[in-house]
Amino acid sequence: MHNRALPYLLILPSLFLAAVVIFWPVYDLVQISTHDVSRFGQLRDFSGLANFTALAGDPDFMAALWRTGLWTLSVVAGALILSIPVAMILNSDFYGRSLARVIILLPWAVSLTMTAVVWRWALNGESGMLNSALTGLGIIDQNIQWLASAGTAFPMQVLIGILVTVPFTVTIFLGGLSSIPDDLYEAAALEGASAWQQFRTITLPLLKPFINIAIVLNMIYVFNSFPIIWVMTQGGPANSTDILVTYLYKLAFRVGKLGEASAVSLVMFAILLVFTMIYVRLAMREREA
Amino acid sequence: MKLARWTAGLLAGLSMLAVAAQADAGEVRVTVAEYSSKTGPYFEEVKKEFEAANPGTTLKFEIVPWDVLLQKLTTDITAGTNADLSIIGTRWLIDFVQQGVAEPLDQYLTPDFKGRFIETFLSPSIMEGKTYGLPIAASARAMYYNKELFDKAGIANPPATWVELQEDARKIKANGAFGYGIQGKEIETDVYYYYGMWSFGTEILNKDGTSGLSTPGALEAAKLYKSMIDEGLTQPGVTSMNREDVMALFKQGKVGMMITAPFMMNQIKEEAPTLKYGVAAIPAGPTGARGTYGVTDSIIMFKNSKNKEEAWKLLDFLFSTEQRAKFTQNEGLLPVNKEEAKMDYYTKDAGLAAFTALLPEARFAPVIPGWEEIAQITSDAVQKIYLGQGEPEATLKDAAAKANGVLKK
Repeated sequence: MHNRALPYLLILPSLFLAAVVIFWPVYDLVQISTHDVSRFGQLRDFSGLANFTALAGDPDFMAALWRTGLWTLSVVAGALILSIPVAMILNSDFYGRSLARVIILLPWAVSLTMTAVVWRWALNGESGMLNSALTGLGIIDQNIQWLASAGTAFPMQVLIGILVTVPFTVTIFLGGLSSIPDDLYEAAALEGASAWQQFRTITLPLLKPFINIAIVLNMIYVFNSFPIIWVMTQGGPANSTDILVTYLYKLAFRVGKLGEASAVSLVMFAILLVFTMIYVRLAMREREA
Repeated sequence: MKLARWTAGLLAGLSMLAVAAQADAGEVRVTVAEYSSKTGPYFEEVKKEFEAANPGTTLKFEIVPWDVLLQKLTTDITAGTNADLSIIGTRWLIDFVQQGVAEPLDQYLTPDFKGRFIETFLSPSIMEGKTYGLPIAASARAMYYNKELFDKAGIANPPATWVELQEDARKIKANGAFGYGIQGKEIETDVYYYYGMWSFGTEILNKDGTSGLSTPGALEAAKLYKSMIDEGLTQPGVTSMNREDVMALFKQGKVGMMITAPFMMNQIKEEAPTLKYGVAAIPAGPTGARGTYGVTDSIIMFKNSKNKEEAWKLLDFLFSTEQRAKFTQNEGLLPVNKEEAKMDYYTKDAGLAAFTALLPEARFAPVIPGWEEIAQITSDAVQKIYLGQGEPEATLKDAAAKANGVLKK
């Protein structure tokens, strides 16, 4: 009997910590989202699911929801595809490797907001660097108004999102690559395996757990990422580049609908929770098999 | 990441509680909006002078950028850790009053004190007969025009009507510059459209309290701006330009005309001293109607303040003519104080005089709850029209319906 209680006792401190930093805010959000709330957070009448149904009836919210999916998928997939070769190059031995590593990882050290501000200037239609560079190279003869409409603004935001996600992903992969013993490659080379075959049958399978981690962490991080889109377009023009976080921010602090904003935040929480659970399940089943 | 955010939030919350607990008897905390880089140093000076004159009282100024001010106030008030005084946009005041957050100032306001203010600027802070805020900053909008570009295009005077403005913009365009700068992004995108709308006789709210966006005047204004964008009379990429971006183009001499606030005169003095420009009235519509946007920011006292007497003393100090002149001239705003307005600085300056002349036609943001939401709805609609993603008529009707939904609440 004593033995059975001990494990629970041991996890009690961390459970308590989790309760304070996770359960309490979530409880608070549930309270706010199911009540009629003043713009300063004072709860009024219980309103049930009214805040949630209001969201479901808002086309801007539904559009932001889909766009968040698109945003997360493209940034995470893009970063993944780009990071594997970069990590492999940085893992191979060449002159000036440490310098190259520093350069690749440097964007990580710069605050996301600053990166976004710099890009906002670079993408300025009249005085932006990108336009003058493209004109100088003779690629365009008329300035492109990058941030004027979602058609050009959103792809640029995705590209920048990929750019800032790469350093973190590369770091994870470098850790993975250095754990693969060199003899495997030597043996494969002796047997006459081509570089592509080595990559497919040695590198990729052994890197898989690291790829899984990168996917889960990046998904959560990119899904919640606010600065790039906010700084460059504030989700505009006319909500056409909004993702859920920017939509939530406007709802809460511009318009003052704290109830609906809390509902958005719970929806986001639920999506991430479900996604993470499914993914961890899949990853674990694979390992057992 | 979620976890990290919450931990950070919790720590911030705890530290705010700690700060609140520290607030002792003689301390007055003031949340101040950052108008420019000169705001912080000015309030440093105030702190020194005021504390020297009032021993026992300490002042604590929290300088907050405009962009996050409302967010900070919302979280502070929710947590009960707000300051004693705060600068707010007067358009937010109604929310503060309805939620019982703002303290009426009438018990402190002597007729003499009230008499210091110019009526037009004090009245937006009065609600249901009570004064809830004092106008700490006031501004209006007028049209700036580039004299050099006008000379080159052979235009003698700034346009008096929108028809003339279009013609002038065509001439300026023929000389290789942008005719009329239109702001299409971020804060005040809706206001930039109202300049046109007011000239066609439409107000933000109709007399019956419904949204004016579905009236013919609103449609005329939207068509006017859209046709100018399509004809290339504006700068390209309107929806990627916020107010500062258009102002930057004007300062570089690339735009012939634009409408903005008096503080651009200070900026031109510092950043583009050789630019030759003039300030004129906002163009009129076919009936001669026109309007400019008037803005005041109010300083309010919170109901839960524990040091109201000291806080009022500070207000008394801040609204002395000398302090007002220092602040207003630093930030390039308009005088709110009658004595101050008589100073040579304001009467002898052609630009500032043009702004003051427009004041009788100034419209202030309507004092209604949910105004920010209506502004957002209007900005979104206007952006859709500029981009050509929506027919002006249908888009405006749709926006009007949404705005009416907000107004009904």
